[in-house]
Amino acid sequence: MPLNQDVLWYKDAIIYQVHVRTFFDSNGDGIGDFPGLEQKLGYLQELGINAIWLMPFFPSPLRDDGYDIAEYTTVHSAYGTLDDFRKLLESAHNRGIRVIIEMVLNHTSDQHPWFQESRSSRHNPRRDWYVWSDTDERYKGTRIIFLDTEKSNWAWDPISKAYYWHRFFSHQPDLNYDNPAVREQMWKVMSFWLEMGVDGFRLDAVPYLVEREGTNCENLPETHEVLKDLRRRLDEQFPGRMLLAEANQWPADLRPYFADGNEFHMAFHFPLMPRMFMGLKLEDRKPITEILQQTPEIPPSCQWSLFLRNHDELTLEMVTDMERDYMYDTYAENKTMRLNLGIRRRLAPLLENDRRRIELMNGLLMSLPGTPIVYYGDEIGMGDNINLGDRNGVRTPMQWSGGWNAGFSTAEPDRLYAPLIQNPVYGYPAVNVLSQLGSEHSLLRWMQRMIMVRASTAVFGRGSIEFLRPANHRILAYVRRLGKEAVLAVNNLSGAAQAVELDLKKYKGNILIEMSGKNIFPRVGEQPYLLTLGPYQFFWFRLRRI
Amino acid sequence: MPSVRTEIKLAEETFLTDDFLRQLINVGEVDILVGLPTHNNAKTIGAVVQSIQTGILRWFPRDRAVIINPDGGSRDGTRELVTGISIDDLRPVSNLHALRTLHCISTPYGSSPSSAVALRTILAAAELLRAKACIVMSPESSHTEDAWISKLLQPIRTDGFDLVTPTYRRHKFDGLLITNLLYPMIRALYGLRIREPYTHEFGFSGRFGAEFLLNNVWDDGTGASGPELSLTLAAITGRQRICQSFLGQKDHIERRSADLVPALRETVGPMFSALDSTFPAWGAVTASQAIPTTGPDHEVLLDPVRVNRKRLREMFSTGVAELEGVFHSILSPTTLAELQRIAGLEEAEFHYSSELWVRTVYEFAASYHKSVISRDHIIQALAPLFRGRALTFLMENRNGSAADVENNIEGLCLEFERLKPYLLQKWKSRE
Repeated sequence: MPLNQDVLWYKDAIIYQVHVRTFFDSNGDGIGDFPGLEQKLGYLQELGINAIWLMPFFPSPLRDDGYDIAEYTTVHSAYGTLDDFRKLLESAHNRGIRVIIEMVLNHTSDQHPWFQESRSSRHNPRRDWYVWSDTDERYKGTRIIFLDTEKSNWAWDPISKAYYWHRFFSHQPDLNYDNPAVREQMWKVMSFWLEMGVDGFRLDAVPYLVEREGTNCENLPETHEVLKDLRRRLDEQFPGRMLLAEANQWPADLRPYFADGNEFHMAFHFPLMPRMFMGLKLEDRKPITEILQQTPEIPPSCQWSLFLRNHDELTLEMVTDMERDYMYDTYAENKTMRLNLGIRRRLAPLLENDRRRIELMNGLLMSLPGTPIVYYGDEIGMGDNINLGDRNGVRTPMQWSGGWNAGFSTAEPDRLYAPLIQNPVYGYPAVNVLSQLGSEHSLLRWMQRMIMVRASTAVFGRGSIEFLRPANHRILAYVRRLGKEAVLAVNNLSGAAQAVELDLKKYKGNILIEMSGKNIFPRVGEQPYLLTLGPYQFFWFRLRRI
Repeated sequence: MPSVRTEIKLAEETFLTDDFLRQLINVGEVDILVGLPTHNNAKTIGAVVQSIQTGILRWFPRDRAVIINPDGGSRDGTRELVTGISIDDLRPVSNLHALRTLHCISTPYGSSPSSAVALRTILAAAELLRAKACIVMSPESSHTEDAWISKLLQPIRTDGFDLVTPTYRRHKFDGLLITNLLYPMIRALYGLRIREPYTHEFGFSGRFGAEFLLNNVWDDGTGASGPELSLTLAAITGRQRICQSFLGQKDHIERRSADLVPALRETVGPMFSALDSTFPAWGAVTASQAIPTTGPDHEVLLDPVRVNRKRLREMFSTGVAELEGVFHSILSPTTLAELQRIAGLEEAEFHYSSELWVRTVYEFAASYHKSVISRDHIIQALAPLFRGRALTFLMENRNGSAADVENNIEGLCLEFERLKPYLLQKWKSRE
């Protein structure tokens, strides 16, 4: 299956997020690896996704799940070799699956040789590759992101007897992007992987590249200049590749990352995600429509990236204090579920394993404007383990079967990089790929069908959105349009059956074809279009003028 | 097969229009329902709605809430004002943010106002939406504060009360019908000291509201006027959990003297009417007790006001003379003779004593019970006598302090309690 050659391929993508370590262990050492992932590409192809986003796989002391990189141009030996990665890339492309990899520009591990050189002497040529200071009083207006673990953005280095700047953990010193040599070096790193054939980068923590006194050191114009320069080089030397921004910001602050279509191709819509959960719990479309109304237009070549859950906590940075309290009280009553400003839980446990709500949320994910990202394991309703520290509870081994080590590895269970989910509800005997493949009505099979339906039209990935505003606020309804094609999505956010009257006068004469079962619904007339929906039910209708 | 009761209930609910029902369907289940009956309240309604919205957002931000506005044919744009005020209008001043949609439904129910239809509409909406807690707010008050929403709802939401009546800071001469008749008589009859048994601002649990909706007051006519008092009496006799909550200053709303008879119909009418069916609940009560109260149970304002004493006395004397024939049917010869005596006194000597007033009221109640003449005529005949009693109250408290006024009201209450056996005697006598 050849790759889609459209340079806007990312608009039609359905991305699957996975960490090599978590997916499949091919050599029985208890850790997932590239050959293992390659073996499972058939599964991903059958699922219907057409891109994978690999979390960091570089050499690393793994104090932040690989986001603390110690070497940029090779792979961590636990996951295989660079050749193994090349084979994975080739196999994925052969199956029509693009590969997006992680690139952490903002900081390195303190074990990276660059930092070791930098700290070794104030006169080392790499001294200025990081942000050093004799005082911890600079950049006072900058917030601390990891509030639970860090007290300051400065850390004292006893070796060079100075403070170094870090926006994340203190073992992750920030690179100094005011230094041209750093900018040049990081482009070399990106070129290395692009030449190998990777299709795009998810650029981690991009708002924080540059620091300036008197600012909050986020989203600075100088940071945007760095990013635009990377994009310019990408377009010149590797057309058709993609940059995805991780910038956990409000929509208005995110907009500049698209610039005039010459910075990022895609950016995560962070504020939308918690509001989808909030809207579901409140049984009210208001939080969702409100944030989408505040979302600015983006250039035609750009795209939002949507997700329900990922490897991090369900971040609540981009909500008000009142909304955060509500989210905590309703989704994380147990305080051990809370981490930093967020909730460290997977999708299924967050939704109390309610199949109807899981389906509805995935329905929203795939029908709202943007490119959906599915976090590994969520397609089968995997659970989490809140007793594991940090965010490791949502990074447990993929559950392939009910057999030995859930089919993930042949190693002794105590050699697995993380314990398997064992509880009666979410444990691998109950939740696994093999058993779900055997049932036409499993969540996995349902996900396959929905992904297929979504992929059947470009309207979801590229179309405009027009919200209908039925008086019933429990119903979230919108029309997606692309050219002559139109799709009506109607979602019941309530746990009770609802009646709704939709004003579809604009589409008078069209018949509605339900996209999953292909059944025909009555023609739209002058009168409000009456629909009834069961608890948490949703419909996608193709509007056809026949 | 549906039960008879269900069929009746469904039939009753047809007084709601299809359009209103459609809007209720769109709202769905709620936690809080705020009823706001209106009729030509354009001058004040904007501020009231804003206070309600602010109150909901400030005190109950997570609750599902709806404002129901039954309107009795406003022609001054009241309905448009109610539905036109958006939460967004509040933000610049309050910095409040709504987590969820706050619904506001306005529904016209006719061309003239009816507190019964309005309350019934609110109760029916509350039942259909399965509201947990409801309040009714007056559209006329310019002093409404957002905290009132909390003060009326919180006892229901958190403490499980079924009826919350307000207490206010009032002028000493405001609410004379309440202080001289409703409060002391209900207190004496049923043994509960509810300072504002007849009010346009109150809260009730969804459960109690649904129960009251099934009450036959709507059909037997007693609820047609003064359903608010009927609700209070139903709570008392139904042994619901009742409390009081101090709201703040109550506006004095000028009424024309011609408004007294309708006011008596809305208050004394249902009170007298309820005596028939609730005798087991009040017949044996011999003392009164306080009810749980948040804040003071009253506060008194003492600003000087002008009162036309001469006109009050004239209306009393004229009434006693003109209605002599009617009073022969209602009152005992002794009471009537005493009334005729004081009607002849000069203004400076005029005094309608507490004891005479209580005997008068009790004799009216007994006559109402026996329907000695048309019950509505009995209510109407009380109007001139109430004016006489009001005149005495005004004279007695003209220079009185807040404590003096309260002492006088308390004295009257005790007189109602002391003479209750007289009511029972009259009630049971065959005369």
